[in-house]
Amino acid sequence: MADITVTIGKHTFQNPVFAASGTFGYGLENPDLVDISAFGAIVTKSITRQPREGNPPPRIVETPSGMINSIGLSNIGVDKYVSDMAPKYADIGCPVIMNIAGSSEDEYCEIVEITESVNSNIIGYEVNISCPNVKHGGIEFGVNAELTESLTSKIRKRTGKLVIMKLSPNVTDIRSIAKAAEAGGADALSAINTVYGMSINPHTKKSEIYTTYGGLSGPAIKPVGLACVHKVSLAVDVPVIGIGGITSGKDAVEYILAGASAIQVGTANYRDPATGISILDDLKRYLAEQNIATVAEMIGMVETYES
Amino acid sequence: MKVIENTVVKSNTEIASGIWELVADSPKICSEYRGPGQFVSILPIDGWQHPLRRPMSIAAVKKSSLTIIYKIFGDVTSEFSKLQKGDNLNMLGPIGNTFSGWDDSGYDPVLVGGGVGLAPILNLKNTCADNGIAVAVIIGARRGAEHFMDHDPDNGLWLTTDDGSLGAAGTVMPTLEDVIASLPNPRLFACGPEPMLEAVRDFSIAKGIPAELSVESYMACGIELCQGCVIAKPNGQDKKNSYHERYSLVCADGPIYEAKDISFG
Repeated sequence: MADITVTIGKHTFQNPVFAASGTFGYGLENPDLVDISAFGAIVTKSITRQPREGNPPPRIVETPSGMINSIGLSNIGVDKYVSDMAPKYADIGCPVIMNIAGSSEDEYCEIVEITESVNSNIIGYEVNISCPNVKHGGIEFGVNAELTESLTSKIRKRTGKLVIMKLSPNVTDIRSIAKAAEAGGADALSAINTVYGMSINPHTKKSEIYTTYGGLSGPAIKPVGLACVHKVSLAVDVPVIGIGGITSGKDAVEYILAGASAIQVGTANYRDPATGISILDDLKRYLAEQNIATVAEMIGMVETYES
Repeated sequence: MKVIENTVVKSNTEIASGIWELVADSPKICSEYRGPGQFVSILPIDGWQHPLRRPMSIAAVKKSSLTIIYKIFGDVTSEFSKLQKGDNLNMLGPIGNTFSGWDDSGYDPVLVGGGVGLAPILNLKNTCADNGIAVAVIIGARRGAEHFMDHDPDNGLWLTTDDGSLGAAGTVMPTLEDVIASLPNPRLFACGPEPMLEAVRDFSIAKGIPAELSVESYMACGIELCQGCVIAKPNGQDKKNSYHERYSLVCADGPIYEAKDISFG
């Protein structure tokens, strides 16, 4: 059987299929519907310094092969997170990556410091510098290379755990942001967060999202995600985690060929939180059929016409 | 406990203009079902063209048979109407809480339904009948062709239509006022379009009548992951930093709320 383990930073994961932030809650909501110990890792919804209600409704609308969301980082806040949630990760059999969001460097740093002060099964931070749905929720960092590097280095100084910067596709050149995060000391980069989108109801003539624009996700953005992962993986030496419209083993293979060392399943979790497990089964079957011995040897092996 | 089940369609028929009743064999979901008010979330049958499940109220559960009533709104429900006996339909459920207090002998239940909000009201009506509880039922629609029951006030069933083509003309509200006038201790249960729920809510609060409303909300998952299906709470606006005080998650806390606990618009 093929070796499906993947290594990111100092961590080796049992497989490359992770659950994406914001689509898997805190990881504990649905034990009856999904065995999370089957995942390579789970990434929590974004945790902020203070609790947040999130945006007014409507927060969600379906679009062709996708959906737009503008939840607005609704979450319980880091204090309650470390006291109530983190202890429950002791027995889940799966490493947890905590996604964090802030409106200033200080906020991000405080979240990390508070989390570092407790023992937990949290193995790293995915730093949201790409949420399109709140005015001050990180996107101002994610569109600016200098701010990205500075924030990354400040977080890096505060933890020995994995630091993964989550990149936005809503930038002129994702490679420059990726390089800045790498220069700041990131262990890995995840790409992509949602793509700015809008939806209008022609009958009511109203925007279908309260904040007018939201983040587009789902199969509609898979080609965007693939291109970003490919560009980023060529620009940096650290591993890239691919996200965007992954619903099948075939999608996961495409992302790995594009340069992803691991992938995250997002919107598909809303249909069935066990989708990641079927993706993993598909991936194993593909490796056997193709006589590929390791996932690692597939990473970035896409053949392109121009080199 | 919620389960995801590939149910098997037993029948799928148009019972009024654009309104369909689908019965599916669904032993797993039926065994977890707790009562009227709960819903299932149904996977579209066109692959990933429509990624999100459709939440639909349970209209009946009999042994392993689960009934939903749906209105054709767009492509997804149009596809559902083509399902034949023996076809599979993937459902997630049962989701949500249930109507309560309908079996309290101190009250006279009055059930108000309209449009797509018919299913849980019909479910509650039949559940009350099975338990020998007399209820008054008021069902609203835009026109007579959308009704599939008979206007029968002598047996506690009032129909209303916006165009006056069947039953009482107008919304459900004038009929509701008439009906409760003769009841010593009315308790309201309502499900329907938001303007109707808002009217029932305001009316119940003004009259001091207890009311439970089943609310609709756009939701991506139904299992507490997306945080999309929120409804505003009337209190809890003041705190700067809070979670779950200003908004309630319909899939986790609802879909049934006491009228005083939610606000619309």
